[in-house]
Amino acid sequence: MMTVGPTLDGGLKLVPEEEQDWDVLLKIAGDAQGDLPQKLAGLMDEDSMWEDIVMPELATEFSSQRSYVSGVVEKARKAEEDEVIIRRDDAEQWYGALNQARLALEEKYGFGPRELRDADEISDEDMRSAYFRDEFYVTIQSLLMQYVLTD
Amino acid sequence: MNAVQAPTRKSETRSKDQVDKPWQVIILDDPVNLMEYVARVIVKIFGYSREKAEEMMMAVHQRGKAVVWTGGREKAEMYVNQLHSAQLHATLEKSE
Repeated sequence: MMTVGPTLDGGLKLVPEEEQDWDVLLKIAGDAQGDLPQKLAGLMDEDSMWEDIVMPELATEFSSQRSYVSGVVEKARKAEEDEVIIRRDDAEQWYGALNQARLALEEKYGFGPRELRDADEISDEDMRSAYFRDEFYVTIQSLLMQYVLTD
Repeated sequence: MNAVQAPTRKSETRSKDQVDKPWQVIILDDPVNLMEYVARVIVKIFGYSREKAEEMMMAVHQRGKAVVWTGGREKAEMYVNQLHSAQLHATLEKSE
């Protein structure tokens, strides 16, 4: 079981206790691979020229969030550190990467609103695994909102 | 001698009608973004009070979408760009 809690300097600390916990953290960037910029551009009309102008900027921004999070986790793992710290200044990057992961998982598996979900109804192994990763990601997001992304 | 066709002027990228009529910035509901996060983004981008942002967030959640700003096209596009950057599903619609 992974322990997550606020730090004294306004960040969040993730303490993986098992190999599986590190696996979940390392999967954030992979889960976040999706076509979010394209999907958002699809909401706009042709006059907006979204695909030419905005979409590339969003793609760069979202890619940067994924790279940052995977870099922090991989570095901590390689150094055999006991914890991963989400500093206050980096919380937006983490939130964004987690959000991308959840948006991509939702698009792939269609879990639907959280209040209507039932894990017992999911028999497919991949989907079940993705479901619990999504639950973990949203828990981190909620803690970021509660303790770190406060104005 | 071949007749030379008079050059035709291409229409403006955006018609006057598109520029002049007010546009609405609309946030669409999705099953992923946390309600608290949506309200926070609305406050940050539009500068609304926390109460107003939460009303708008609830409207998005309950009705599936909500108009969060109305005005000129270019500014509306800027706002949608910021909403997309925050990974919210948002679009523009011309006001009635």
